[in-house]
Amino acid sequence: MEINGDEIIIELDMPMDEVVKFEEFIRPRIEYIEKIETEPKGTLTSGALLSLLVSIKRTRPQIEIPFLEKGWATSSTHGTLHWTYHD
Amino acid sequence: MTKQEELKLIFIEEANEIIEKLDVDIIRFEENSNDLELLNEIFRGVHTLKGNSNAFGFTRLGEFVHHFEDLLDYYRSTKESIETNNLELFVESVDVVKEVMICELDAIEQLPKSYAECLEKIKILLDIKKNRTKPTVEQKSIEPLNDLACEFASISFEEDKNEVEECVKFQQSMQSEELNLYKIDLTLDNDCYKRGFDYFIFLKILGERATHLDSFFDMQNIQMLDEFKCDENSISKVTIVALTPLVYGEIEEIFEFLFDHEYSITLIPPLIAEQKTDTQIQNNSSSETSEIVSNATSKTSTISTNSNTNTPKSTIRIDTFKVDELFDSVGELVIAQNFITQNREIRSLENEAINRSIETLSKITKKIQDRVMSLRMVAIKDTFEKMKRVVRDTSKKTCKEINLIIQGEETEIDKTMIDNLSDPLIHIIRNAIDHGLESCGEERVSVGKSADGVITLRAFHKSGNIVISVSDDGRGINKERVLKKAIERGVVGENENLTESQIFALLMQPGFSTAETISDLSGRGVGLDVVKTSIEKLRGKVEIDSKEGSGTTFSIILPLTLAIIDGMLVQVAEETYIIPTLSVIESFRPQKEIVHFLKSKGEFVNLRGECIPIVRLSDVFDLKTTRVEAWDAILVCVETEGGRIAILIDELLGRQQVVIKTLGKSLAKIKEISGGAILGNGDIALILNVDELRPLGEISHV
Repeated sequence: MEINGDEIIIELDMPMDEVVKFEEFIRPRIEYIEKIETEPKGTLTSGALLSLLVSIKRTRPQIEIPFLEKGWATSSTHGTLHWTYHD
Repeated sequence: MTKQEELKLIFIEEANEIIEKLDVDIIRFEENSNDLELLNEIFRGVHTLKGNSNAFGFTRLGEFVHHFEDLLDYYRSTKESIETNNLELFVESVDVVKEVMICELDAIEQLPKSYAECLEKIKILLDIKKNRTKPTVEQKSIEPLNDLACEFASISFEEDKNEVEECVKFQQSMQSEELNLYKIDLTLDNDCYKRGFDYFIFLKILGERATHLDSFFDMQNIQMLDEFKCDENSISKVTIVALTPLVYGEIEEIFEFLFDHEYSITLIPPLIAEQKTDTQIQNNSSSETSEIVSNATSKTSTISTNSNTNTPKSTIRIDTFKVDELFDSVGELVIAQNFITQNREIRSLENEAINRSIETLSKITKKIQDRVMSLRMVAIKDTFEKMKRVVRDTSKKTCKEINLIIQGEETEIDKTMIDNLSDPLIHIIRNAIDHGLESCGEERVSVGKSADGVITLRAFHKSGNIVISVSDDGRGINKERVLKKAIERGVVGENENLTESQIFALLMQPGFSTAETISDLSGRGVGLDVVKTSIEKLRGKVEIDSKEGSGTTFSIILPLTLAIIDGMLVQVAEETYIIPTLSVIESFRPQKEIVHFLKSKGEFVNLRGECIPIVRLSDVFDLKTTRVEAWDAILVCVETEGGRIAILIDELLGRQQVVIKTLGKSLAKIKEISGGAILGNGDIALILNVDELRPLGEISHV
């Protein structure tokens, strides 16, 4: 995870313990974060991270999360993922 | 090569195939924009391209096709008729896809200007369309980037379901005999992560064998951060649609460690099977669909019904290199078989069983040869389809209305030739439209023709060869003008008496053009020269036939295959040579009266009024032999690029199909020889390159 001012860059393939750490990091700072970017070449590997991103977006819709907002992702290992979250 | 690199190569190959098909389909669609099936076909191609492009990091291509897909999806779902200018945008989009693909492959950073422009047009059109049809949909902060998933982001759950159904339909359309289609619903308990399960684990296992894998995550129950715990699963449902060779039992094994209520596997029958079972479903009112449903609680009940009742064509993708290797091996087999058949010692054995075995071997060898040959043969249809685009674009550029007639598109031709045929055909077609046809409809009408020009593209078999012809019904070639130009340029002398075909052949000389204006389509005098060279590389030739006022026909004559040649075996000074039968016109023993000797021009034979130069192979190859008079020998009259010649030989041995063998570097320099072949008796014969038997400058016409 990298912090660049009010923007956070995360890796999509973080394991569960890192997702938990990310959640702990972001929870008190959610009001100060403007954007959550993802490493360009990463692949999502857990439902926990996807859920966390949705939860963040639901909590503070102004946060830009381009990866999540795209609504889909593809990878050679997991196929095409589509997701729906209801604001 | 790493697995990833191998996959990338497969992707590139597939992507190019998809793009080629898009190019053809989009023109067909332009002709009939009400064809929803075709629109779906285009959509499916773009959809696959999108998924694959993103998976391999071709994000710029991925982004473009993603928006293009959105646009296509809008039209196919609304069934709204497409406005002409928007059709143009479709065609333009396919062009951009082609260009961006090249940029991605060559890692070119600078995208073509058309990329941004076309993308913008698509976005604007989509915005207009969506705002007009969905005024009540709440505007989201999300950019309209998303594909299908985005659209249902704030709409009802019913639409999610539709999306899965769409996906099922799509994968059904991709299903082949050896693949099974499954819809798997996962509703994992809250503690699943702690139990070591994640949706992605199952996706990864499925992905190892699936040819298509889509998953739909329903995130509607995800709570706000205050109540959210990331180590507890709060995804309410994930629906997976997978097309895989795995059988039901194998799929079930993947989920066997989950609780029964956490998963449900549905085997979806193939499209044809589904249609066949319609009547059965009507009899069973409790079944709402024809799907073979098996929940975890009733798993054992219906697995036996997993039998695909359809028998679609099964295909496998093989590297052409392997086919070529197989072809070479078969060539060796043919040689070995010929060796046995023609071996004098074996033939002298009067043993019926041996003779029968040899005969059987010959038949089987021929059958194998034919079948292996057929592996390389593909219908010319796709190449002809591509030409529709060429005609369309050239028609627009030249402002000429054109009817394209295609005939014989099922004619099969060697794959290698197909690959090299497009460019020559494009040249000829552009030339036909730009120069062959009259400049406007009025001019045509004034000479009693229809206002629209007609271009006919035809493929057919003729004398063991393939002929591909491009005809126009335009003004025809003005022979006098061509001849005048040739004399001006010193290509022919003023007193030379050329036949009609020789005059037309001048058009294919490098730099020769009679066009008064040079357009970006043709007129520079390079096109037809390139055509000729390209076709000759394929061991073929180009013939031109034209009638002033009626039109012109360019015929490309090609051998059936590049690897085997039909040749006439001839003997000179105890050496055997092969003359390609394609070039042979006739063979004869001349009478003394028709053989003439002209000082400084050599020997000629007067064949029915036409003086044809005699070429002695013994002179060409410096063979030591007793010189015989032409009337004591045999002449084989052949057509060459410089006109007809008569090759003087001692004996005609017969006609035979031979497998062409390339010669080593040192022999390759001998321009009069194009290759070699091993004959049935084990002897080696050289294949003559008749065009080089006499240099062009030495042609003399009396």
